Amino acid sequence: MSPTVGLLNYGNSGNTYNVQKALELAGGRVTMIQNKADLDLVDRIVLPGVGCFKDAMNNLAPIRDELICHIRRKPTLGICLGMQILSKIGYEYGETPGLNFIDAEVKKMEVKGKVPHLGWGTLSMIRDSPILDGITEKDNFYFMHSYEVINYTDVIALTDYCNHKFVSVVQKGDIYGVQFHPEKSRTAGIKILINFLNL
Amino acid sequence: MPLRIIARLDVKPPYVVKPVHFEGLRKIGAPTDLALKYYNQGADEILYIDIVSSLYQRPILLDQICDTSKELYIPFAVGGGVKTIGDFEKLLHHGVDKVVINTFALQQDPQIIRNAAEIFGSQAVVVHIVAKKWQDWWECYSDCGRIRSSKDAVKWAKEVEGLGAGEILVSSVDTDGRKRGFDIELISQIAENSKIPVIAASGAGSLVDIREMVVQARPDAVAVGSLLHYGTTTIGDIKQYLTDNGIRVAQ
Repeated sequence: MSPTVGLLNYGNSGNTYNVQKALELAGGRVTMIQNKADLDLVDRIVLPGVGCFKDAMNNLAPIRDELICHIRRKPTLGICLGMQILSKIGYEYGETPGLNFIDAEVKKMEVKGKVPHLGWGTLSMIRDSPILDGITEKDNFYFMHSYEVINYTDVIALTDYCNHKFVSVVQKGDIYGVQFHPEKSRTAGIKILINFLNL
Repeated sequence: MPLRIIARLDVKPPYVVKPVHFEGLRKIGAPTDLALKYYNQGADEILYIDIVSSLYQRPILLDQICDTSKELYIPFAVGGGVKTIGDFEKLLHHGVDKVVINTFALQQDPQIIRNAAEIFGSQAVVVHIVAKKWQDWWECYSDCGRIRSSKDAVKWAKEVEGLGAGEILVSSVDTDGRKRGFDIELISQIAENSKIPVIAASGAGSLVDIREMVVQARPDAVAVGSLLHYGTTTIGDIKQYLTDNGIRVAQ
């Protein structure tokens, strides 16, 4: 039976519609998480992207403690902002504590290029991970972000933007984060979601 | 960073139309069909503009936008008649990744750019600049290229960047739909001074036009409409030609 994925709806900014559509194409059944009780109904958790670190954490406040308990027990995928809030701390519009699963800080990208970083990028693999099963360094993924996760301990892949290498995939146990948008990255992106559902 | 090739759909619901100089509309087809066609050809993004929404002063029609987004697994940008934060929210909840705004920000309240960027993130806010060349400057137009603003396009580009826009789409009243080449100078001046990505639009009549513009003006993306709509050129042709000419695109 296909796994039930709980998709977090944290407010005004979420692009949950697109992530839901892509997860369903990948073979998942999707339930929107609106409150604490919904978390009991799912066996995987996806934190979608788009928006601002501070707003996201504020919107998650009512279910924060339960969410943390469930993430400890269930495979979890953070996408873009969803990956960023898995970090210890974020510096977007002030300093905001994150969910603190990844020992990382989230800072504005400092590159000799345009920010936001908008467009396609490839992955340089650092470690093997089931989330990248079947993915090669030629596959393109769509990035859409101004902030990046600074981490040295849980890096699975890096991506180059204007000769600056930033962390594009992290994994710590069953917790995964991708800086790009798999739901916007054609078949390669859907493959990542299939890998997540197969965990 | 690979140059993005964006398929542009100018929509007068329920059809994609081809305006010439932002007037004289010709029906091309249904947005759902064309978006899927260009997606399958390898487009990097789809840009959908409801070109009469501001002019007719009616709200943007969500159902058709939602339908168009359904089978796309690439970024989808939508504009036309966006006036409130509520409009941004509605679009972003109906399959849209980036919201394109011109008229309201230009003629009424530029602060909507800042407000939207703070709530949805800069990457979700694309400002569309529709400019007309005068002797030594370009003037921004609104309402489908019909209403003047007296605002200088190059200065307005800097202003919207400061307000938190994530991207600028540059169209030209003079070259739009004519298929005789881009306003290279306009695109170049905006791209050169901009710290955010710039999408060049209006005027692609041939592969050579695109190459010349890209080499000279150095935008981050190109939006193509007419050239694709008449079926003579595909996204694949554009990417192959640019690659053969040493310009990096995503395959």
